[in-house]
Amino acid sequence: MRIVAIIFLLLHVGAAHAAEYGYTLSSTELKDAPFTDANTLATLPEKTKVEIISRQGAWLQVKEQQKGWVRLLSVRIGEGSTMSGDSGLKSLVNLGLGRSSSTGVTVATGVRGLSEADLKNARPNPQELEKLRRMTIPPAEAQKFAASAKLSAQQINYLPEPAQTQGGETVNPKLFGGER
Amino acid sequence: MRRGIILLLALSLPFQARAFQLDLGKVKDLVTHAGQLRDINEKQEVEIGSGIASNLLGAAPLVPDANVQKYLNLIGRWVAQQSERSNLEWHFGVLDTNDVNAFATPGGYVFITKGLLLKMNSEAELAGVLGHEIGHVLKKHHLKAIQKNAEMGLFADALSIATQNAKSTQALNRIVGVGTELYARGLDKEDEFEADRIGVVLAARAGYDPYGLPLVLQTLANLNPQDSSLALMFKTHPAPTARLDALGKEMPILDKYATQPELAARFVKTLQPKRENNN
Repeated sequence: MRIVAIIFLLLHVGAAHAAEYGYTLSSTELKDAPFTDANTLATLPEKTKVEIISRQGAWLQVKEQQKGWVRLLSVRIGEGSTMSGDSGLKSLVNLGLGRSSSTGVTVATGVRGLSEADLKNARPNPQELEKLRRMTIPPAEAQKFAASAKLSAQQINYLPEPAQTQGGETVNPKLFGGER
Repeated sequence: MRRGIILLLALSLPFQARAFQLDLGKVKDLVTHAGQLRDINEKQEVEIGSGIASNLLGAAPLVPDANVQKYLNLIGRWVAQQSERSNLEWHFGVLDTNDVNAFATPGGYVFITKGLLLKMNSEAELAGVLGHEIGHVLKKHHLKAIQKNAEMGLFADALSIATQNAKSTQALNRIVGVGTELYARGLDKEDEFEADRIGVVLAARAGYDPYGLPLVLQTLANLNPQDSSLALMFKTHPAPTARLDALGKEMPILDKYATQPELAARFVKTLQPKRENNN
């Protein structure tokens, strides 16, 4: 299944010629292999523009002055924050990270939507709710579907809560039933 | 105990009558709400959630495509099975709007808009977003927020549901109303960050590449924030870059699962007809 995905990726890379770029979000180590304990080739300062070549797991192969690997989440993929929606999509297509062609979705105004006002004026729609209920899938069928794509369930703990950074409006969860 | 202390403090400051009222109000809220949530059983949670779901469907109906809806339900159910509330009867629906958003309502209702679905590129991305929404249901984020916003006594009235009298029905309708309005305002941003952390784990548990959700956030970060189809989502969620930043701190724990399948091909194949029709 992975192979299918890779072939698919390659096809797309072939179709998209333009190079893809991103910016480092903070000072980031450029590694010679996609592992935390790989050799560090250089330290890229914050906001370094890098050319993105490929992805492997949690890592992106990039080229700055030299080729190397950085963490996927240490890079903001795309040209920058001033892009229009459209070029943003295109740029992700070009990345070839399994990204399909742009859908070119345009917003049809005044049809139906989920704006703030739409939500405030919403009236119940019991017919659609009934339709929704009928679509429910029994767990066994979902499991079969997952197995057909060789998805296998893993035992993984939830991520720890990060240390409280700022004192926002966080209310003591224990007061609310305390199931954390 | 705390109430008593605050009362004493407030009484010792006779010239700050307003402060006194404020504090007392807050404490009363906390005490009342704490009692209320414990009293809501799963049946009532589902009842509230289905009422809100019905309203959301009133704003935007389901995409009339049985194939896509079934695909969504298969993935959603598989991801939800990896959670501690696999016993809920989970419902997933694609809403027929180009607005970019996703919603969950209490008791196991999860919606994604066609606009957001068509911006995705793989099943792993979809699994991550559904995982985020499932996370809201698991943690009862909306239920808690509704209780924070509902007027005093409303939940107590609704909880007399057992008797099914007119008063409890009225109260339930009010709760659903308050609940629906909440979707225009959004949750506490900490709830969104928490749902992100749950989403990536549920996707990984389901056997997907957990980086699907971060990749969707990358896509969102690249869209023009002025676009009206993004207005509500951007208003009700922390900025995509802030969410990426927050995930970046904990995600390395999941690195060894990052080579699990993305299933881009199956996703694109299922969605292809939709994409063409929408152009």
